[in-house]
Amino acid sequence: MWKTIIRRILVMIPQLFVLSLLIFIMAKFMPGDPFTGLITPETDPARVEELRIKAGFYDPWYVQYVNWIGNAFQGDFGRSYTFNVPVADLIGERALNTLWLSLLSVFLLYLIAIPLGVIAGRFHDSLLDKTIVLYSFIVFAIPTFVLGLINLFFFGYELGWFPTSGTVDIKYESGTAGFIWSKFYHILLPAITYALLATTGIIQYLRSEIIDSKSLDYVRTAKSKGIPINKVYSRHILRNSLLPIAAFLGFTITGLLTGSIFIETIFGYHGMGQLFIHAINGRDYSVITALVMLFGFLTLLGSLLSDIIMSIVDPRIRID
Amino acid sequence: MNKKLLALLALLLTMMLVLAACNSDEDTSKPADEPDKTEDGGEKEEDGAEENAEEPASDDLFSVVLDNEGEAIKGGTLQVALVNDSPFQGIFSYTLYEDAYDSEIMAYSSNVLFDTDGDFLISDGGIATLDVDEASNKATIKIQEGVKWSDGEPLKIEDLIQPYLIIGHPDYAGVRYDSDFQNIVGAVEYHDGKADTISGLKKVDETTLEISFNKVSPAIYSGGDGLWFYAEPSHIVKDIPVAELLESDAVRKNPVTLGAFKFDKIVPGETVQFVRNDNYWKGQAKLDGVVIKTVPTASAAKALETGEYDLALSFPTSAYENVKDLENISLLGRQELYYSYVGFKLGKYDYDASLAITNEEEAKMGDKVLRQAMGYALDIEQVNEVFYFDLRERANSLIPPVFKSFHDASIEGYNYDPEKAKKLLDDAGYKDTDGDGLREDPKGEKLSIKLAAMAGDETQEQVISYYLQNWGEVGLDVQLATGRLIEFNTFYDKVQADDPEIDVFMGAWGTGTNPSPAGLYSKTAVYNFSRYTSEDLEGLLTAIDSPEAIDGEFRAKKFREWQEYMQDVSAVIPMQFRYELLPINDRVKNWDFGYDTDFDYIDIELVADTPVK
Repeated sequence: MWKTIIRRILVMIPQLFVLSLLIFIMAKFMPGDPFTGLITPETDPARVEELRIKAGFYDPWYVQYVNWIGNAFQGDFGRSYTFNVPVADLIGERALNTLWLSLLSVFLLYLIAIPLGVIAGRFHDSLLDKTIVLYSFIVFAIPTFVLGLINLFFFGYELGWFPTSGTVDIKYESGTAGFIWSKFYHILLPAITYALLATTGIIQYLRSEIIDSKSLDYVRTAKSKGIPINKVYSRHILRNSLLPIAAFLGFTITGLLTGSIFIETIFGYHGMGQLFIHAINGRDYSVITALVMLFGFLTLLGSLLSDIIMSIVDPRIRID
Repeated sequence: MNKKLLALLALLLTMMLVLAACNSDEDTSKPADEPDKTEDGGEKEEDGAEENAEEPASDDLFSVVLDNEGEAIKGGTLQVALVNDSPFQGIFSYTLYEDAYDSEIMAYSSNVLFDTDGDFLISDGGIATLDVDEASNKATIKIQEGVKWSDGEPLKIEDLIQPYLIIGHPDYAGVRYDSDFQNIVGAVEYHDGKADTISGLKKVDETTLEISFNKVSPAIYSGGDGLWFYAEPSHIVKDIPVAELLESDAVRKNPVTLGAFKFDKIVPGETVQFVRNDNYWKGQAKLDGVVIKTVPTASAAKALETGEYDLALSFPTSAYENVKDLENISLLGRQELYYSYVGFKLGKYDYDASLAITNEEEAKMGDKVLRQAMGYALDIEQVNEVFYFDLRERANSLIPPVFKSFHDASIEGYNYDPEKAKKLLDDAGYKDTDGDGLREDPKGEKLSIKLAAMAGDETQEQVISYYLQNWGEVGLDVQLATGRLIEFNTFYDKVQADDPEIDVFMGAWGTGTNPSPAGLYSKTAVYNFSRYTSEDLEGLLTAIDSPEAIDGEFRAKKFREWQEYMQDVSAVIPMQFRYELLPINDRVKNWDFGYDTDFDYIDIELVADTPVK
């Protein structure tokens, strides 16, 4: 197994290399550059040209690419053109915001979805099941920004239960308990919104797996051995039914860093999703390429993690 | 479904989301047709050259002065929403910042040296006064004694010199080292590393700075010709290498300032907390402090309605309907330094010679009558009413009315008149000879005009198709170049490269506080996108920026002549001026949103402990 894992990691290198080449060339194909949006009647075109030359935009693409990849190997991903800070610092700051939000979101997601899925599957065709299925279809149909705005307007502004934008209240000193609480308080509403919306998949998988398992031989055997019905569900059925969810766990873990553009925009929570879109619109090449590379790496890593997790939870699957 | 397929599906879904997000982001962020707001924010005071200053319609539509009454509480904190879907950059130095949002924040702690009048020309009354000697190309700047930085250090002449040393430095990587800046004697030598300092900057005594220029023009009073409007705290900044300045704490974390408030705390990209600056030279602010926080566009109106904030900066005019009837909010409004226009391609730019080459004979839009007819055919009035709640109005000239002394209100412009458009075309021989309902050119050949227009929010598509319909109604066949609206960056790439696919284009300029049109319409200007030049035009542009024009009346006269000339040749037809809004909660007292005012942030008072709901 270790051999396979190492091999998979080694294969990532050429994959990432191809990705970097593609994204670099395609980013340069986009019309305009970081300076296009800065032009006002008072901007001196000669100075803009000078800055473009300084930034190397007129070098052939392979020269630019070699420069970029050379620096990237030394951990220097360049500077953001729009934010004027090193890309690594910028991404680091946003990634941390996104990580906390995603962690809470995923936690709440499992907290809501797994019990609902289990209940719906166990009592299937009951009124309870039908209600849960109806709920899952409704949240599936609601666009993120609609529920986001409703939650923000109602719970944030009307009732005043939650903060309405940002990641932390300015009145707390960094590092104090109040500061940490304020951070948590700020991610609560966006996380709940995200969790509610994402439940459908898990509920549906879990429900159908449980319904299928009910009629399988091993469940009948367990029941006939006289094992209490609750135990049959919790020990036997649930374990097997969670497999498809476990299959996604790797992606879920690495997906914690991707962020959600809608949630971030509506709640004014500055994270990775927003950074990515902002970078594309502003032609912030250094940020675009760094982010795509990061997302690419995370996707590859996620698929590897998923395979490893599967081999652990499902003894029938072996990597070799 | 197997795992791989699922993973693929998940990836596809994510990509769809991201793509959808691209669109939505464009909708909510600042309009794509807007080049970033200009840097030189001017403070204001009454003075200067004004003759027959017609009041622009703006002052009727909105009040610029807040009329809330009531007994003020002691102190209090003003809660300000900065409407922006992205974080602010947080470069709190006038010398280095690029983002208009940073400048909106810095206004509360301002390092501005000069006061300006209603035309944004430097006047007396600020920290410094300006005295220009045209004969010797020298400017003398005198600062008041006793002005202190927020950390208690006195303001020195070195603080005035410091920004020049930053901008001119070889390591400086912004746009401000430009041809204007090189107008300062010795700036180029300093930039090239041949000199340790800029020889044209001379400290005469403790309160006097003398600057030598290669030439001076009237633009110097608008902060042009290389003159710099702001001070930098040299006692802090001078020891930081220019290359490291952008990331230094002096810029990002605890900037030292000259204004009514000083920086107290910053949450990067999100929130800034100001407290009263006890060293402010004009006196002490009545408020204890100000907190400015970014608020997403989608919830800006709601945030005001529920009394979460006292006022909203950069408030999106598209949300006007949501705030105009709120009982706890007063709406102040003023005209922006902005105009949008229709441009006609009449030539090409020769990038080797740096010259616009006009060729009216061969250009498809070479006929002046055709261009004017296209101007009269546009029902911009209707568009302003239906799509922009009348927060935009028909522009009559290429100078926004904000520049009271320079804007010519007597020019009629191209008010909607389809009959006139038809008559012009009939008389010039544009007739429908083949009976398809569309006019042919005077030679009887088919006339199909290509319009380049920028993509923007959801109304943009409807607006542009309405314009195409307007032109269709007078018998002109106008089609979209590339077949659809064009993304902002691509649009300017194509327009600037004189793409042969474009005959007509719709653009916009945020003009900045220097009204000189030379940068946009002279024969050397790259941004002269219509590529129209003529000797008469050059003559007018030169006159506007000539030393004679330092006399305000002469300059105003030349500005009028220029606007009339542009109206006549119609290479560029002005479309819209627009308003900006400042919604303010009813607990705030003493605010003036006008450009031409004595208002200072120290005057602001509150009449209740929390914003009115």
